[in-house]
This record gives sequence, C-alpha cells and structure tokens, in this order.
Amino acid sequence: MTGSLLRTTLLVLLSLSACAEANDESEADVDVHAYLQTHCVDCHGPEDPKSELDLTQLPGEPTSLREAERWERVLIMLQRGQMPPDEVPRPEQSATDRVVSQIEATLGHWIARSEQLPAAVARRLTNFEYQNTMRDLLGFELRLAEHLPEDPVIPYRFNNSAELLLMGAEQLQRYEENAARAMAAAIVDPATPDVHNVRKEWKSERQNNELAVTGNRRGNVAGGLSVRQWPEHGEYRIRVQASGLFPEGTAAMPLRLVMGYGLAGDIGAAPFFPVGTIHLNAEDGEPRIYEFRGRIENHPVEPQRQYRRGGTRTGNLTTIPASLVITPQNLFDDGTLNDGIAAELRPRAVIDWIEFEAPVADTWPPEHHTRILFASPLRDSDPMAYVKQVLQRFLSRAFRRPATSQDVDRYAQIYQIFAADGASMEAAVRDTLAVALTSPAFLYHEHQADAHYRMASRLSYFLWGTMPDETLLERASAGQLQDPVIIAEQVRRLLADDRAHDFVRNFSTQWLALQRCRTLPINTRLFPRFLYLVKKGQHAGEEVPFRPTVRDDMLDETVAFVLELIRSNEQIDQIVDSDFAMLNERLAAHYGVRGVQGHQLRRVALPADTRLGGLLTQGAVLTGTGTGSAPHPIYRAKWLREAILGDHVKDPPADVPALEDSAGDSADQAANIKDLLRAHRQKVSCNDCHARLDPWGIAFEHYNAVGQYQPKVPPDGVRVLGFDAKKHTDAAGYQQYLDSVFTVSVDAASTLPGGAAVNGMEDLKSWLLLRQQDVITENMVRRLLSYGLGRSLTVRDRFAVDQLVRQARRSDAGLQDLIVAICQSDLFLKRDN
Amino acid sequence: MQKSWHLNRRDLLRGTGVALSLPFLESMSWAMAPSDELPRRMVVSYFSYGAYMPEAKSGIPSGRAQDVHPDWSWWPCGQAGPLSFNQSSAPFANLKDDISYLQGLDHKGGWKLGGHSSGDVFATGADMTGEHKTNNISLDQLAARVHGHKTRYASLVLGTEGGTGSYGRCKTLSHHGPGRPIPALNRPQEIFDRLFRPYAGKNQTAVKGQLDRKRSVLDLVLEESRSLHNRLGQADQAKLDEYLESVRAVEKRVARSASWLDRPLPEIDPTSLDLEVTAEDPENYIRCMYDLIYLALQTDSTRNISFMLESEQSGASELQNYAHYLFGYSGNTHDISHKRPDEISGKWDQWRAQQHAYFLKRLKDTPEADGNMLDRTVVLWGSAHPHQAHNTRNYPIHLAGGRQLGFRHGQLHQFLGNQKVPLANLFVSMLHAVGVPVDSFADSTGDMTELRPGTV
Repeated sequence: MTGSLLRTTLLVLLSLSACAEANDESEADVDVHAYLQTHCVDCHGPEDPKSELDLTQLPGEPTSLREAERWERVLIMLQRGQMPPDEVPRPEQSATDRVVSQIEATLGHWIARSEQLPAAVARRLTNFEYQNTMRDLLGFELRLAEHLPEDPVIPYRFNNSAELLLMGAEQLQRYEENAARAMAAAIVDPATPDVHNVRKEWKSERQNNELAVTGNRRGNVAGGLSVRQWPEHGEYRIRVQASGLFPEGTAAMPLRLVMGYGLAGDIGAAPFFPVGTIHLNAEDGEPRIYEFRGRIENHPVEPQRQYRRGGTRTGNLTTIPASLVITPQNLFDDGTLNDGIAAELRPRAVIDWIEFEAPVADTWPPEHHTRILFASPLRDSDPMAYVKQVLQRFLSRAFRRPATSQDVDRYAQIYQIFAADGASMEAAVRDTLAVALTSPAFLYHEHQADAHYRMASRLSYFLWGTMPDETLLERASAGQLQDPVIIAEQVRRLLADDRAHDFVRNFSTQWLALQRCRTLPINTRLFPRFLYLVKKGQHAGEEVPFRPTVRDDMLDETVAFVLELIRSNEQIDQIVDSDFAMLNERLAAHYGVRGVQGHQLRRVALPADTRLGGLLTQGAVLTGTGTGSAPHPIYRAKWLREAILGDHVKDPPADVPALEDSAGDSADQAANIKDLLRAHRQKVSCNDCHARLDPWGIAFEHYNAVGQYQPKVPPDGVRVLGFDAKKHTDAAGYQQYLDSVFTVSVDAASTLPGGAAVNGMEDLKSWLLLRQQDVITENMVRRLLSYGLGRSLTVRDRFAVDQLVRQARRSDAGLQDLIVAICQSDLFLKRDN
Repeated sequence: MQKSWHLNRRDLLRGTGVALSLPFLESMSWAMAPSDELPRRMVVSYFSYGAYMPEAKSGIPSGRAQDVHPDWSWWPCGQAGPLSFNQSSAPFANLKDDISYLQGLDHKGGWKLGGHSSGDVFATGADMTGEHKTNNISLDQLAARVHGHKTRYASLVLGTEGGTGSYGRCKTLSHHGPGRPIPALNRPQEIFDRLFRPYAGKNQTAVKGQLDRKRSVLDLVLEESRSLHNRLGQADQAKLDEYLESVRAVEKRVARSASWLDRPLPEIDPTSLDLEVTAEDPENYIRCMYDLIYLALQTDSTRNISFMLESEQSGASELQNYAHYLFGYSGNTHDISHKRPDEISGKWDQWRAQQHAYFLKRLKDTPEADGNMLDRTVVLWGSAHPHQAHNTRNYPIHLAGGRQLGFRHGQLHQFLGNQKVPLANLFVSMLHAVGVPVDSFADSTGDMTELRPGTV
C-alpha cells in the first residue's frame, strides 16, 4: 500500500523532472524511488511521521506553494547532509546528488509554470524607518517613535515585512499625536521669541570645577547647571569651557552632557536624556569651548510633587517646580573602573563654565521653518496660491515622489477647513501638514507606479532606513534608477554615508538576535566587574542606569564590525573569522587585548594567536547566548545555526523542563554542562533535535557568560562563592577570586552532525570555512535580500538566490559587491517583488 | 445611505472570530442607552510569573498528602466544593459567596507559547502558533464593541507598565483584533485626566469646532485612501484595508466624543486620590489603580476594563523590585517563581490577594439598585503562566461578582481529566452575562453552566 502510493508520488515527480533534465527517465525513477524508500520513509511515512512530514502524501508535482515549500525543505535537508540522520546508514553521496538535482529540476519547473502572485509590499514604515524619515523630513530629530506601539521583535527575523506591520485605530491616533508634535516644532510663530539664557561658573577652590569619574561632592560641578525657565519648543545650544587633567598614560576622556532630571544622588526610575559626548583632550590651562545643540522637546521634565515632611506620607503634597538640569559626566573608562583606583590617578575634566540658551534665534525664523514656509511675495499677494506651492514642495518630500495636482488640491481643501475659523496661516499649515503625516502615502511604502522613484525609496530604506535624499530623487526624476551602473554608484555612495550606520545597526541587531545581550540579567556575584553597580542605598546592587558600560560597547562593536566588512568590501568568510576586530580601550581590556587606548572604536589588527576574529567570539553574541552566569551551549548552537548557517531551529515544546544552568540556578552550585546535556538528550523526545544541536554549542564552551575567553570552569558540584569586595580589593584580587572559582579545564570537544570532530572554537571556525562556505554565503544573501525587499523569501526566489550566491562566491567579490548585486537584481528592480 | 458612524454589521463581525446571533444585531446603533437600564460590567485582570501551589505544581493537584502545605497555596482548599481559606487566600474569606476558584482551565492557543509569552493570549484565546502570529480580539473589547456606546468611554485599558509591549511580551491584555494591541495606561494622573478631564480645560464650543473640523478632514483622508486603494494590486489592497478600517474607527470615535460633549462630566475630587504615587510604592500604587477602576465604574464612565497588574516580561519595570520593597527579599520578584521559598511565595500571593480583595470589597460596599455594584460586575483574575516549569496549562483562575448577572459562587470547581473544558467557555458565560450573545469565543465548546446555571 505504502509502496504504491509512494510510487505514484514519485512517478509524477519524475515525469516532471524529465522535462527539465535530459536524464534517463526509467533509471532516475528507480534511483529516487529506491532512495526515498530506503532512507526516508521509515521516519517520514504514513505512521506518526517525524516533523509531520509524510513523503507518501506529498505529491511529486507540487500543487501549491505550501507543497513546493515542503519539497524545498526536503531539498535543503539532503543538500546540507542534515538528513538522513547520523544514526542510520549513509547513502552514497552520488545517489543523494542525483536525487537533489531531480527535486531541484521539478521545483524549477513548478516555479516557471505557477502563477506569480505579487507579494504585498505596501507595508507601513517600521518605527525605525518612521523615526528616521521624520528626522530627515523635518531637518531635526524629535523622539517620536517612542510614542508608538512597539514593532514585533522576533529573534533572527526582520520586522519589516508586511504581515508583521499591522495598523489599528490606536496606532493611527498615535501617528496623529506625533504629527501634531512634529508640526508644532517645525513651524514657528512669526514673532521673534524670548531667548532664555543661563550661565554658571565653577572656581578651582576645593576642586569645585573638577569632574572625576566617580565620587564627586556636593557643590561640585558634577551637580551641573539648573535651568528654571525654557521655551516649550525650539533648538537649544549649550556651551561648555573645559579642559582635562591627564595623569601619565592618559590623553583624553569622553565628556558627556545629560539634560533632564538631575542625576546626583538618584538612580531611581527617572528617565535621562543624553545631549551629546565630546572627545575631551584639551590640556589644563588651555581650555577649549565645546558646543552642543539639540531640541528642547527631547528633554521633557515635569514638576515633581513631594510630601512636605521628609518623604513621609503624612502632611501635604507640595509641588516642586520642574527644573532642567544639565549634568556633565566624565565617562573615562579603561576597563578598570571597578578596581577602586584613586580619582587622582584618572583623568578629570576641569569645567570652568556651562552656558544654556534656547531657543537659538541667530536666524529667525529658523531654517526648518523656512524650508516649509519659504519667503515669497506670493504669500501676501495670493495666499492660496502660496499655500499650494507650500503643499507641492512638502508633499513631494513627504510622499517620496512628485505630488500630483490631486494631492495638492485635496490638501488645499484640508487647509481651508483649518483656516476657516480665522486661524493664522502658520497654525492652519501645521494642522494640514500633520494630516499628510498620517496619510497612507506617507506611512506606507507605496507601490510607486514610477520605477525610478520606487527604486529611490527601495535603496534609501534598505541602506539608510530613511527617505531618499535629494540626489536619489534627482536621479529618479532623470529616469536613471534602472541603470545598473548608476545603481552601483548610488549604492556605494549610500553605504559611505553616515546613515548607513542606522541600516547596519537595525539589520545586525535583528539578524544576529542581539537584543538579549542588553536585557539579560548578569550574575553580578560571579561577574562583579562587568557592570557598574550602585554601591549603597535602596538600589544597592542594581546597575547604574546612566553610565554606559562594556555591555553597550559590545553591541557597538558588532555593528561597527559588520559596517567595516561592508565598507571595506571584505569577503563574506570574515563573518566567521577575521584578522581584525573593532575595539576601544574598554573592550580591549575586557578581551585581554593590549595596546588599545581611548574611547573610540577602531579597526585593530589581531595577532596570529588571538582568540578573537569574526562574529562568533564577539561579546554581544556570547553574552546574549549565555545565562548571565554560564555559557549556554543550546542557545549558542541555535544562534550559530540560525544566524550563520540559516537553519530554522524549532522552539522546544512548552512542557519540556529547561536545561539547568551549569553554574546552578543562582550560581550556588556548579554542574558539568556535558553531563546536563547528556541527561537532557537521553529523553527520547529531546534527542531528535538535540543530537543535531548540542555539538555546535559545545565548541563555544571556552567563552564565558560575559564573552571572555575562560578556559576553566568551576568543578562539578562545588558551591560557587560570590565575589567579596572586601576580600578582593583590586584587579589582582579579582583575578585571584576568579582563579579560586574556575579551576577545572573546559572540555570543548564534540562531534558535529555528519561526523566531523572539533575541539573548541578554532576547530569549529576552520571547519565552517572549509565545509560550509556555500551555506554561509547563501545565508548572507538571503538575509540581505529579505531585509532589502521587506518580505520573507519563498521557494520562488531560490533560483535568483542561487545566482547571487554564485556571484558572491567569485574570489574577488566582497560584501559590498554583494549588496550592489542585490540592488541590481531583477528581484529588486521589478515592481511585483 | 447609511451614515458613516453607523455601526455596521460587517465591521462588527470582521476579524472577531465570533458569531453573534442576528436578531440582536438588527437593533444595533449608536443610540444612547436607555436610562433605566442597569449597567452590566466586566473587569479582566492578570498577574504574572504564576502562583505558588505546592500541591499542584502543574496546576492540578498531585493527590499526594505530603505535597500539601498547611498555609500556603494559591488554591484556597484542597478539594472541589465549598470554599475554605488558607493563608494565601485569606483576604477573600469575607467574600466567600462572591467568588469562585476554577482549576484546569487554559487556552489551547497558548499551549505552544512559552510561559513568558502566554500572557499575550490570556484575554483573547488566540492561536498564536500559526504562521502569522497575530492575536485576536479580547473579550473586554468584544463587549465594548457591542455595548461601548452606552458610556462615555467604550473601554478602559490599564497596566502597570504602560504601552503595548511587543509580540510575545505584551504589556496589555486588550486587543481589537489581529495586530491591534491597545496600549495600556499606567500613570494614575494621566488616567484620571483622560477619564474626568478629557477636554483639558477647553470650552465646549472650542471642542465642538475641533471635532467638526476633524470629521471633515477624515472624510478627505478616506477619499484619498480610497483613490490610492483602487490603484493597488490585490495583496496591497488588503494591507490598505487595515488603514481604511483604522480611519473609520477613528471617525467613529470622533462621532462618539461629539455625542457626549453636552453631557456633564462626573465631578471627582482629585485630591481624594494620590495620583503622584508610582510603582516604587507598590501597595499604594496598585490600590490607586484599583481606585481609578472603581471610580470609572461607579461614575459609569465605562463598563469594560482590563488591567494587566503584572506582565510576563517585567525586567525593566518596578515589579522586579516588589519582592524587595514588600518583604525585603534579596532577589527579583521573578526569582520567587523559580526558587519558590515557601514563606515568601505564599506572602507574595497573599499580598496580591489583599489588593484584589480590596477592590472587590469596594464594589461590594457600594449599593446599587437592590444589591451592590459587585453583583453587576463580573471580575476575572488569573494568569496564563501558572507554574515554575513554564508550563502553560491549567491556569490559576478566580472569578468574582456578577450575582445579578446570573453567576453563583462559593465553590472551587475542578475541570480535570475528561471534565476538562476550554477557558474560553468561561469567557462565553462572562460575555453572556454582560449581554453579548456570542455562540462561541476562540476555542470554546459551550458555556459554563456550573457557574451560571440556567441562564442562556
């Protein structure tokens, strides 16, 4: 019975494939039939088929997208040698190859024949794209996306595809509120405003003007400047005269300003809003003046109400008027901040004065206003004609294509509604343009009829995450954006621009599932020096929220690394192993690399015996795939297979107990990770997946939960002592503590599915580069393509992908070339993709 | 032609995944409620990270005597039948005849979600394991769709963390339908202002002018969207339909606001509440939120409320510190659910129970018609992540109130083994109780006659 069904299936399959390939039909029939019968049907037959795949029920000729996708899945498993599994006898490679090419031919035939349904591309802007688009449209940055419902976060997947970007009334109302905020800031009233000025000086007595890394006193410059009155809208300017006291071996420090609630003495839940950071290297006695600018709307503070008598809940509430505190922070950090080193041995900033001014009214009305309401005699002579010109200009930018006469007429009608009640032109234009900012032409990636404007938006949203700039729109207007040479030139221009950084950050964070690194609770008893903790009070032991740590650098490191690969057009293999890393002093100290000084990330050539190189050993990846206490081989294996090899690893069933933490639930008790995994695999329900998962993760075991090379672990069953700051006072003491905990050598040897033995990270990398190059390249192609198109790829795309993979594997091709090729491909150029 | 603000049947049915009886629909409109109709109200509330139940680690009793703890278990008593109370549930002792405990209920759609994601579907019962991973309408919003027009606000959506959260980490219980989570409000002052000072000091004429302009503009926006719609391919049209529906929904709200404009707002003295309280003071904060819910109901500002007391992803919120503030516990609040120290676990449940009982008591102490407010308010309180193992079955479920809406209380009910029914059956009964005649909701197989006998 089973056999005959299977034969029917296969006959259809083979008769189709025969059309595509000039194989001997009967020979191929016997081949594939025998192959599936021998190697597959035991598990994937009618009785309780594994992965719910019953090959006897899958028609050889796909009749639907779903069936074609199932065949593609079979194809991938065979191609990559993931099936048949290691436990059963291996078929001859040549037999597998023949079957693979048969299935591939059938799929090719199906794709050619099946109806091409256009994918939905009229997706709304993601919050990331919305924020950037508003910034570029207005000409200044307002924090707007934070008022919107969050976009979905699905690890290893991109959230810019239509099916994830939904719209509802609540969302629309929030767009309306944002549009009103934006226009209130963008268009000013005609009268020159009152300018608020405040200035404060600090003298050198009692070192009041010196800003240390920590431990500042009352009355010191660390308390900052309080502003009591400021405008509701507008640009502010802060000027600071500063220099530095640099002990031997140091030459600069990052100086950051924060404006909002005061930071001194409070680490509570109050939000804080950075103004900017400068690289301070002026020597004491030769101070320099530094200037910061920003929008006052981005620093909201509200009056606070307190109980009169010292915080008790009796007595009356009293309102303390809001004040805007500008606090300077000395962010110097060479990786030893937790080591209790005296303040004098660290750079100190000397701040002579801080000056605040808002709104900045050097030119009034400001440029962002005149960009919309430009100067023109028409304004007085024919106001309505003027408004139409205003609309024509603004809508053409907001809609990313020339506004049509209908667009202009409709918005002119809207203008008249708002202007009817005697509102000023400024007020009515604000309201009118706010409506445009909630219209589908603005909020959605429109299915532009014009191929060149469509391409301008595709390129800019792919490589910048924002609207096209003037150059792109000019190229579109000249009808040049279907020309591969112009496209290549534009892609390289976009990638060289600062905004490419936004693309790489957004892309990498999702592709590599980096979010977890930032939110994972770290066991601070085991890694007391990884974060900065509040020393005393109600919040003792919690992370200091307003001081960046090496954990923030880690995310920047990975983003900078991917950007460097793209900008320098490095080979795709470098994602697995590279001869350089992107480091600053703090990261270098964390990883044990010498000779890197300063706060800025830069490209550092790695020595031959390094433990670093490539993505696999970067802190953001390793920390995010740990438990906060210990490495987690399953998370790491999943990460490698998803992010690097492009597999989809299924989530465990909900009722399976989680693997225990090898450092114990609270790091009290250590346990050997290999034993835990073995126990886990012994359950039949777990083994199916874990046999193909665990070995990959074991190879990462030399790297600890905070991303450092740590070749030792606590012995089995021992009670892990927490760090005691009183006993282990300095860096050496800390090392001593670590040495007392981690005493047993790690065993990182494992056998990968398919039989290759690897021992640790170096082996794993070599094996990946030797045996998985094509898989890694294909994954990179698919990730970039899917992100760029804003949709998931389907079986229909596989031949286009194949072609791009072949191009990318040419010996001289780099990552930037791949991006160019993607943008030149039919998939990208054609409307229905 | 039908007026644009007329609630049309297609709007109501689209995307709800429920079937409504037709005769009921015929009479639907935005007319004001008859003034003599007594309110029927619904409150849905949620706590996270499970509850402590040593004798029932998987949510159902193990049957082993040695597992039973004399004082501490979220379940008040060991057996089905009349309620008796242990320490964890003691705060409800004087509400015995107004509450029921239900064992063995859950949503099939949540089974495959991890424990920290199943909160997403607590009020919706949606199957989120499909390809699109979208949620569906929540029961409070379904009730709001049908009866929301009778009060100034169709519903009130609250949480302690605010916003919507994202997929798998919702910070709100309420959803309009697929992909439409409703942001929860969490700041007492803002909630108070939205409820009782919606016009922010503007006079009636100014507000009316504003609303009129808004309506005319929305008409033009719809016109623009329709013309765009016609130029699009099929797949894109479906996408834009979401937008059009959203605009229509906003239009309806504008119409609503206008129709309520000339009705006086209830006058509530803001100093009777401590609206500045924050989650750093957990007890006063939670009580203030419950007080606002009480005031919203008591003034009949709305009849449908959801309240996410705790979300399943509270890493960045003050909830993490509650255990420390309240009991001096050294770890995170979340740690309690893993380490399960007897005393602290029990006290944590007891503290939650005290706050919830405080709210129920306020309703009960407020007379209404020939009973009290609680009798006409059905209050759900539970969690979709009951246990230490992150298992997502057999939720802790507590139902209170609604005696005049047909509910009978005072029992622990068990729905175990072959008696097991979907939690959605309870939702069907709750919806019936507030006058929403659904035939089914999510994966329901019927209603729950055990709690609401002889009323269909």
